[in-house]
Amino acid sequence: MTGELNEAVTAAQAGDEEAFRFLYRSLQPGLLRYLTALVGVDAEDVASEAWLQISRDLPTFAGGEFRAWTVTIARNRAMDHLRRQRRRPSLPVPVQALSELAGDADTEERAGETIGTESALAMIATLPPREAEAVLLRAVIGLDAQTAGRVLGRRPGAVRTAAHRGLRRLAAMMERHDQSPPPATAEGAPPRPRSGRGRQAPDTSRAEPADG
Amino acid sequence: MIFPRRPDRSDRPVDRDESERLLDGAATPRPATPADPLARLLAAAAAPPRPGELAGEEQALAAFRAARAAPAPAPTRTTGRRLTTGALAWIAGVAATATAGAAFAAVTLDRQDDPTPRPGTSGAGPGPTGGSSPTGTGTRPGTGPGTGTGSGPGSGTPTPTPTPGAGPTPGAPGGGVRPTPAQVSGLCRAYLAKPAGQRVTVLRTPGFRPLVEAAGGAERVDGYCRQMVPPSGGDGTPGPDRTSPAPGGTPHRTAPAPGASPHRSKPATGPSARATRAASAPATRPAGPESTAGAQPTARRTD
Repeated sequence: MTGELNEAVTAAQAGDEEAFRFLYRSLQPGLLRYLTALVGVDAEDVASEAWLQISRDLPTFAGGEFRAWTVTIARNRAMDHLRRQRRRPSLPVPVQALSELAGDADTEERAGETIGTESALAMIATLPPREAEAVLLRAVIGLDAQTAGRVLGRRPGAVRTAAHRGLRRLAAMMERHDQSPPPATAEGAPPRPRSGRGRQAPDTSRAEPADG
Repeated sequence: MIFPRRPDRSDRPVDRDESERLLDGAATPRPATPADPLARLLAAAAAPPRPGELAGEEQALAAFRAARAAPAPAPTRTTGRRLTTGALAWIAGVAATATAGAAFAAVTLDRQDDPTPRPGTSGAGPGPTGGSSPTGTGTRPGTGPGTGTGSGPGSGTPTPTPTPGAGPTPGAPGGGVRPTPAQVSGLCRAYLAKPAGQRVTVLRTPGFRPLVEAAGGAERVDGYCRQMVPPSGGDGTPGPDRTSPAPGGTPHRTAPAPGASPHRSKPATGPSARATRAASAPATRPAGPESTAGAQPTARRTD
């Protein structure tokens, strides 16, 4: 993927329009989802601004992780947008999303993929900004912790911690919802077969390091 | 007890390692929906693109085409060139000062044989020193090598070698070699130092090409150089050369002019007009606020 992307970057820098189209198709969904968590309904506008700058500055891209480069541009545009708006939009957490995600696999299949993505993003967007960004850069954009740290201007360890906290918060969100309906899992009993990992008490001591 | 900071009862993910695995696996396509709700959530967030998400494709392509068609170079490149120009101008200033010293020394040596005081020669020394150092931008890199050696021939052996080193150095990639006033005057001195019989030959060497270009043709170099360089090389130049230049018309007086008044509408000579453009172009180029914004992402965030 990365090699393919780099080839396309080189070709697009040389003026290859189809290579640029490939870049757009590869990167835009992730950027748009990330931006949705940052600026809400204005994500598409901000994404357009980002692509304007990406296409303009493409000749100056000097190598490295292209996804990180584009997401940095998108993030800066989002921050500009938020400064103009002077507020951070809050996406309402759709109740449907919670049901859908916390329910069993049947519900998920019935709901269909499209809603699933939106609901998942809406839930991630309810996290504190640092955690939401860390989760999205890692899981949706596909950056590693180090690269995500460069985008966010933070140390990789801080990104890992923020992402971990975000995931725990999301898990708790779903579990709380899961407990309200009667058929939910009983306390103490493992609700679903897990991936073979038991509880590892020694690990938990460093599960929540202080994050500066 | 295990999670004292968090009242919720979620025990997953247990630690950062597990979180890392979940995050890494989010975008990995899998045959079945993951059982773990958190993994399902992440998989949904990283699901394959939906058509609606690519709605701006044509708009982005139009932006790409427009950026390709725009005559202006990319913003960051402009910044780089501006910086380079500044640095090179500084070097050129130093080089011009050094050159002036060398020229002055050479002239002084020549004057020992000639008791007649020549106003032109005395003006040659302070001319470039006072002129190009403050203005800086008027001159370009390569003046050091070009004129430094160029002034040498006046007292010794003339060689066309200086310019090959000096020519390609300036930051005009791909473009033609634009000689600087100082470089041209250095070449002129070297040219005039040649015996008359060798002058035609020497102009065919690549080292003198900037001079030929500046003069507008090999046949015009002679007159051009006599205007440009005061008849200082008394030993090397034949007598008639001394008659041409007026004392005030030394090139060192005119050379700084481009830098000092870039908007002068009546450049006296071809090269100075060209130098004017060269000097004023980078300085007047707008900074472009977006250009810095474009350069920012990597610069600011990378740490």
